[in-house]
Amino acid sequence: MPTAILLDVSLSMTRPVPTSDTTESITRLTIASAAINTFLDYLSVHAKLEYVALITFSSTYEVTVPFTRDYDSIKAKLGHLEEGDKTCIETALAGVNQIILGEWGYQTLVQTILITDGTCGVGAIGRNRIIQALPLPPSFPSKIHILPIVSPHESCLQHAMPLYQKIVDLASSTVNNSTGSINRGAIYCPDQLSVAAVVTAMTKLCEQQYQEFWCTLKCGQLETKVQLFPAPQPASHEGLAATYTISNQIHVVGFLQQQDLGTPIAISKHLIIPQPQSNNNNNKENFGSKTPTKEGSSSETSTTDEDNTDPSKVPNFCVLLHGALKVEGMAAIVQLGPEWWGTVSAWCEASRARRSCLLLAVLRPGASAAPWLGPLDQLGPADESTPAETFPVRSWRSYSSAGSACAWARPHALLADVQKVLRHARKLPDKTQHLYKELNRLRRAAISLGFSELLTSVGGALERECAALPSSAPPECALQLAHAAAALRDPRTALDIKHTLQPLATNFTVTSMSH
Amino acid sequence: MFPTNHKTIFVLDHTPYFGISSDFPIEFDVSKSRGPGYVPLPPVCKSLWTCSVEAAVEYCRIVWDLFPEGKLIRFVVSDSAAHLLNTWTEAQQNLTHILNGLCLVGPVRRGAGGDVVGLCAAIEALGEPSPNQSSRPTTERLFQNRGRIICITSARDDDSIRSLAEIALNALVQQNKKLSMVPPTTSADATANTQSLVVHYCHLVIVNVTPEKIETRVNNQPLTEMGGGLMGVEVIVSRASALANLLGRLVLPHYKLATTTVTGIPMKEEQNASSSANYDVEIIHSLEAHAGLRAAQTAAEALESVVLRWWTPRGAEGGASGCSGPLWRVTPADVASRPSACLVNFLLNGRSVTLEVPRKGGGRSASHVLAAQGGELWIGALGGRTPYDDPPALSEGAGGRITDYRIKEFGSVMQQNKLLPLRGAGANGRARARLQRHTTYWPLTISSTIIFNLGPVVEPLSRLVVQETLSEAEVEACRGVLLSLLGMESRHESPAAPLPSNVRVKWCGRREDQWRQVWGELEALVRAHAASPAHRALLRTLLEQNRDNNIKKKLNIIQCSGESRASVIRATTDSPLSPVGAGGGAAGSSAGAGDVWAPRNALEALLGAPRPPRRPDFAGRMAAGNRIATLYSTFARCRSTALVFYM
Repeated sequence: MPTAILLDVSLSMTRPVPTSDTTESITRLTIASAAINTFLDYLSVHAKLEYVALITFSSTYEVTVPFTRDYDSIKAKLGHLEEGDKTCIETALAGVNQIILGEWGYQTLVQTILITDGTCGVGAIGRNRIIQALPLPPSFPSKIHILPIVSPHESCLQHAMPLYQKIVDLASSTVNNSTGSINRGAIYCPDQLSVAAVVTAMTKLCEQQYQEFWCTLKCGQLETKVQLFPAPQPASHEGLAATYTISNQIHVVGFLQQQDLGTPIAISKHLIIPQPQSNNNNNKENFGSKTPTKEGSSSETSTTDEDNTDPSKVPNFCVLLHGALKVEGMAAIVQLGPEWWGTVSAWCEASRARRSCLLLAVLRPGASAAPWLGPLDQLGPADESTPAETFPVRSWRSYSSAGSACAWARPHALLADVQKVLRHARKLPDKTQHLYKELNRLRRAAISLGFSELLTSVGGALERECAALPSSAPPECALQLAHAAAALRDPRTALDIKHTLQPLATNFTVTSMSH
Repeated sequence: MFPTNHKTIFVLDHTPYFGISSDFPIEFDVSKSRGPGYVPLPPVCKSLWTCSVEAAVEYCRIVWDLFPEGKLIRFVVSDSAAHLLNTWTEAQQNLTHILNGLCLVGPVRRGAGGDVVGLCAAIEALGEPSPNQSSRPTTERLFQNRGRIICITSARDDDSIRSLAEIALNALVQQNKKLSMVPPTTSADATANTQSLVVHYCHLVIVNVTPEKIETRVNNQPLTEMGGGLMGVEVIVSRASALANLLGRLVLPHYKLATTTVTGIPMKEEQNASSSANYDVEIIHSLEAHAGLRAAQTAAEALESVVLRWWTPRGAEGGASGCSGPLWRVTPADVASRPSACLVNFLLNGRSVTLEVPRKGGGRSASHVLAAQGGELWIGALGGRTPYDDPPALSEGAGGRITDYRIKEFGSVMQQNKLLPLRGAGANGRARARLQRHTTYWPLTISSTIIFNLGPVVEPLSRLVVQETLSEAEVEACRGVLLSLLGMESRHESPAAPLPSNVRVKWCGRREDQWRQVWGELEALVRAHAASPAHRALLRTLLEQNRDNNIKKKLNIIQCSGESRASVIRATTDSPLSPVGAGGGAAGSSAGAGDVWAPRNALEALLGAPRPPRRPDFAGRMAAGNRIATLYSTFARCRSTALVFYM
């Protein structure tokens, strides 16, 4: 999840901080810079793939550094920030919303770290007005953390606190609830106004909000330690009380052809980054990956020590899995927790066709995340004894079911159905069966809608067709039309759903066929 | 937890008044005049009842197309009594059931009665728990039970509408009161699951229907709260002919839906296939699908249909896989129209199509994709960066420099562990158990194994041994594999001899070492699967064979005074190990697991002394694979292996 650092560069941030050390003049802005440096240093160790942007604001806002993984470019800018005029949080937040929507769309969780000086710049009334006017919640999932560079005892902080709390609360109550995240942002107040205290607060923020996510990917006896990036968020599912958190063991259940899998409804996607195997977990579970006789030939023993130092030369299951998934065009179904599944597939960015990686798609919790696969908990291995169904599992609803002549709300649909009947009526005796089939369909729909007027009217139309028959027409036509018209208007059976109209069984049918 | 739209109840007025005509004539005899004397048919008018039924059914179709589960609708037909057409159970939540029920109700008959009966029955029905609600454990019964009642009726004036709402509110209050009187102890009973629930909120939509020409004295009323937030009442006045449109519009806010008009779909007419015309199709889907487009739009604009242009697909496009985010179900707004049917069929046949935002200034930007999966239609939004783009190359990560992964073999493991839709519980567990068996002994790289590179020689065994059980014939087949290997070894062939030379992998070590590794791996493989009696029998065979083999070989070598072997035999006589001792050691290995990894044959034992240009590798390290070896790990378990270390 990308991060936007929203840094207050208003005039008040340039106030010097009283220190015992007089040789160096420290302002709130330098403290903020130190905090940002701490943050970036933390990321470069723990979350190198995180995108970060630096946005400065006062009464206006400016994208100082757009979203990047090159943290040094942000650090380089920190020394040359232009100071602005007045803190204006709501404008800045509105601006950030625009920037993020433009860049990340509305499905990506974006975290914002607001670094300000603990004053909202206005009185109580103005503050409440700001609270009213906050451009929150944004239309994308978001979290806002606030780091006020202020001594905890200053009155202005007490004054600004309700505003901060409101920002943090509102930011997480996103309107787009498909990726319901329950983790909120937080306010990280330093213990005192000093570089050390602010850095401590920032470190706390990092540790709480930017924890890398490690887990074990298990496929039978084969397993490997992996990192998921971005770290998955707990999911809450509408209609279910439970909140779902990914367990630290992801079990492969089995495999599917990619085209059978399709694109299930994923709530988030994560890179699976293989991690070096730690060497000291020589338990029995690892029996399989242990290659017992690998060092059977003594010539290899010398390379073993090297292998341990260079993790890229130790065989890793992830690389194997990726290769095999790609070659076979398959995807793995993995179990993320109770009643929760995901898919692992080889993914490759269109623009970088050669750089491919393993991608975990976290599905919506519950067994129905991909209806065409059937209930996910009932996916099992092929077995000789059970008759195998195939994918896709057809939904019992179909779009044509609604077309069984009950969608007459628009007149053209009714018109089309009646015309069909009349078309068949004109092509008797060839279309006798079709005529009765359509008539019964029409009847059924009309009866369920209580539309007896229609039946009377169609009966009339059939009689007219009968009258308009040319003299050359076989006599059977007239008989069938008259029979159908009468049946449609027969008061005893016309509205009886169990009654089916049958063609008139005439002797003519027999004789005409014998000709 | 359970939103208001979890439960919806239609109350349809079936009183005699609804038998009157809607006075909205529908011409259906539009065929061209066929000469003189041809009398056109009179147009037909639907009754109010027909109009309300078809509108309600259309509402249901949209809801059930988009939400196969969790959004429940019930029908109450009200005349002198209340007829409940269905219950909350899943099996009765479909159009077929409703239409059958409507058939039985039949057209409007004479008689008294009105909406009041039906409305009260509907409120009672709201109290009944849905399957989802009753599946909640009783301890978690603190959810809000909300619902919506859409009552299609016709009232004289505002006053009668108001009294209708008041009657509904009264019924609701009475019902809740009655439930709260029930002592809470009963909630612990087993019968609690069928017990009625308190209704926390009811959204009552009263639709007042009139024929075309009749003046009505009922006015629209916006949503007003009654009974302290217990009930929200909304009154909408509609002509019967416009009722279907009205409900088609109402369904959008009720289920947070939005419409998109796909414009410019090229379609060919059957009659003149040479030319194509452009059509528009309106589709309905979740409002969320528009979230990206709506960012800069006002609330009023959000109610209108978004127009997206058809982007004629070229060749095989990615379909829905292009979207990184969620997908939403789609249903056509007008299911009976030909362009809709055409679009639906196009998608159901497996094609997908990209939609773009029409721009005046040129330049295209794909915004959505439409595709079918599993017989249902879906829309997904495109665009936006993903936080995982520009991933680190796998080749630079852990294990990235290894090039001899057994990818093809793992591919066949994947094929053997393909999932299929089964019925019944435990399917996932069986799949995982199977995968567990298939990977019990599974070297990751080609260079770390010999037996899996031997192709058809070992293949029957490696294929069969992963099964849960082995039949007599299968055990025999495995024995055959072992025998043929033995034969090869006794002929002093390299294990790789039967393979074409181009697939041979460079294996280090001498032939004897290779055979030693082959037997070691085989034993590990079979031992790892020794769960069933047949497997254990196979393992016994393997171990016995190993021992016999060793003795035989030794005898062979001793007897054979061959020219090249002469020096070897001389060296053998110096060996501290007697042949009998070596045989005993191999037999002992079947009992203790400690020396599985170092199965030694007599040959090796015989060659032991003169062989090493270097020292033999530490047996503990052999056992540990590429991990740190633990010293004396087997000491406690098997004293006899300690001998091995000192040899």
